[in-house]
Amino acid sequence: MRNMSPRRAATIGMVFAAATSLAACSGGSAPEPTSSGNAAEGATTSEITFWDPYPQRADGSEWDKLVKSCAPAGATLVRSSAPQSDLFNQLTTAVKEGNAPDIVVLDNPMMPEAVSAGLLATAQQASIDTNGIDENLLGPGLVDGVAYGVPFGSNALGLYYNKDVLSKAGVDPASVTDWDSLNAAIEKVVASGAKGITFSGVAGEEGVFQFLPWFWGAGADLSDIGSAEAVSAGQLVSDWIGKGWAPRSAATDNQSASWDLFLTGEYGFAENGSWFASAAAETKGFTTAVLPIPGKDSAVAPVPTGGEFAVAPIQGTDDSNHYANASAVISCLTSGDVAVTTNETLGYLSAKPDVRGQQVADNPLWKPWVGAIEGAKGRTTELGPKYVDVSAALSEAIQGALNAAGDGVDVSAAFKDAAVN
Amino acid sequence: MSTATSTPSTSLAELRRHGAVRPKMAGFHRPRASTLAACAFVAPLVVYLVVFYAFPLMQNVAMSLQRYDRGTFVNGGAPFVGLDIYREILGQPKFWRVVGQTATFTIVSITVQYVVGLALAVFFQNSFRLSATLRAMFLVPWLLPVIVSGTTWQWMMNPDNGVLNSLVGLFGVDPVWWLNADHALMSVIIANIWLGIPFNLVILYSGLQNIPTELYEAAAIDGAGAWRRFWSVTVPLLRPVSLITLLLGLVYTLKVVDIIWIMTMGTGTSQTLATWSYAMAFGKGTSGVIKYSEASVVGTILLVVALIFGLVYIAVQRKQED
Repeated sequence: MRNMSPRRAATIGMVFAAATSLAACSGGSAPEPTSSGNAAEGATTSEITFWDPYPQRADGSEWDKLVKSCAPAGATLVRSSAPQSDLFNQLTTAVKEGNAPDIVVLDNPMMPEAVSAGLLATAQQASIDTNGIDENLLGPGLVDGVAYGVPFGSNALGLYYNKDVLSKAGVDPASVTDWDSLNAAIEKVVASGAKGITFSGVAGEEGVFQFLPWFWGAGADLSDIGSAEAVSAGQLVSDWIGKGWAPRSAATDNQSASWDLFLTGEYGFAENGSWFASAAAETKGFTTAVLPIPGKDSAVAPVPTGGEFAVAPIQGTDDSNHYANASAVISCLTSGDVAVTTNETLGYLSAKPDVRGQQVADNPLWKPWVGAIEGAKGRTTELGPKYVDVSAALSEAIQGALNAAGDGVDVSAAFKDAAVN
Repeated sequence: MSTATSTPSTSLAELRRHGAVRPKMAGFHRPRASTLAACAFVAPLVVYLVVFYAFPLMQNVAMSLQRYDRGTFVNGGAPFVGLDIYREILGQPKFWRVVGQTATFTIVSITVQYVVGLALAVFFQNSFRLSATLRAMFLVPWLLPVIVSGTTWQWMMNPDNGVLNSLVGLFGVDPVWWLNADHALMSVIIANIWLGIPFNLVILYSGLQNIPTELYEAAAIDGAGAWRRFWSVTVPLLRPVSLITLLLGLVYTLKVVDIIWIMTMGTGTSQTLATWSYAMAFGKGTSGVIKYSEASVVGTILLVVALIFGLVYIAVQRKQED
């Protein structure tokens, strides 16, 4: 190792030359994915692979049992899980290598990008029934009018509140009908010695998801994230940090961390999702209820649709058989009584009005969420695959606004800069 | 390491090393059985190097010269654009800001790690009761999974009720918002220094063990004080070990992603070349869009920097030997 002799240099050169030739010949070896195949022409196989973004639902959990029970007779279903963005990357590689799973459960804002990258079979090819699904919920999975996959159900964001903290502070939750009344309520809560509001402003899609109700509630539009309306939404959350009404850790808290803060019982309000509805009903030491998120001048702001699509990826070989597998499992999970079980297991409200009606009738916990879900806007409906770019820029702006801690000049600059990039 | 030009006999090889015998070019045309055997022994290593080192590196460089997106990554057909993406990345003001932050992160981290590591190593050199136990306890940061220590640092640095703010509060300092955009770099450097001290301590401590005690005794007899002994005996004799510690530390620190990602996801000033590349390669953090080619460009730049320091190390070492 001490001296680099000419001979050693030659050896290294040889290694690199060999590597170059290896790289050169690997280019064309991957199977070219095709868009042929149709579930109607295939038959289900003995092993079915299923990927979902729910690593918290382990083997043997209710969800795991439900999915496995949907395998057709004689087939075994192999389920694996990874967090959202990892799952999308793994799917990309798997399609490239021609060994994609039969079914993938993909987060809805990723749908347009997945379609434009040529990763997904159409709903028609995979015989996935999209009839009776609410238009706003099916939106993210429609590209040029063609459906790719189906959403099981949807979740939405709401404004949870701690009844005990609010009554001690003398705040009537019904008085929260716009931003001003919300700010007045938070101020009273903080004046009573409690803490104000928790939310998640973490970098990335999760923080953007939480910010969109304020963004849309201000009348801002994703096609112009530097607008005065957008800045006013940024100013709202920035002021909460600046006045000490919200924890400064909101800039790094994800939704679970922000929920944990609310569970301490010290906070008056929490912006969080319907998937915590059953957890909210069982809080220890205090009781909670939920309000719609108010808009700047209206009682209800549009919230982004949450939840995932069940899709069939493009296959390298035997595509018709793989699509038949997808068709069988997805139709089992989304029809009949199982559709209710699927949504209850995931903590979602069904994307079909009739199933949703049944869920609400069975479980009054859902009542306050119906309006939010029916009025929800798809994140990608307007921009399609461009949404991911805008979301990345908006995430930078949110981080800037939270760091500005109320400073109006900085908040405005953060949004203006993000709009340029 | 042997190649087709080498001759099998040990004595011959030795002679050649002394310049007595020139390699015979005839060996090229008619390899002997033993030469082939030598190649066969080398082959596994060469294959390993090619498959696991050279090939991924070449792929990385190849990716940085083609414009990939998710679609062309899957279906092929990414256009070759030469150095366009390098120009785009280098033309961004963000690039130079990130380079500055990476330099600060790396230089401050390894300097403090080295100084504290050396101080602790010298301290532990004088064996005293419980010194072995204490030394073992200093290894804890190394043994903990980074996800655990990173999350713990994040909690301790909580701006509203973190223990670190209570601590600085005792000295009358206002609470610090550790992980906001402006302070993020400082915060991740603090955590990274804490992580890196054990490595420096262990290597430098073992280096100290190799310095003969007679030298210290002789120096003491000549009337050298503790400070003089440190500068005139410890420092010069520890130079080779210091060099490798600093170089390895440099390469490790340049490529740090985990601790920064866990604490801040590379937001604000804590973005380094490594976290930026990671964020773009996997579409994570504020970089929600996957950018294969841009990530490869930044990765390649990092690689070249590491390579330069590797060559500097070899050059310095050779100079020391002469």
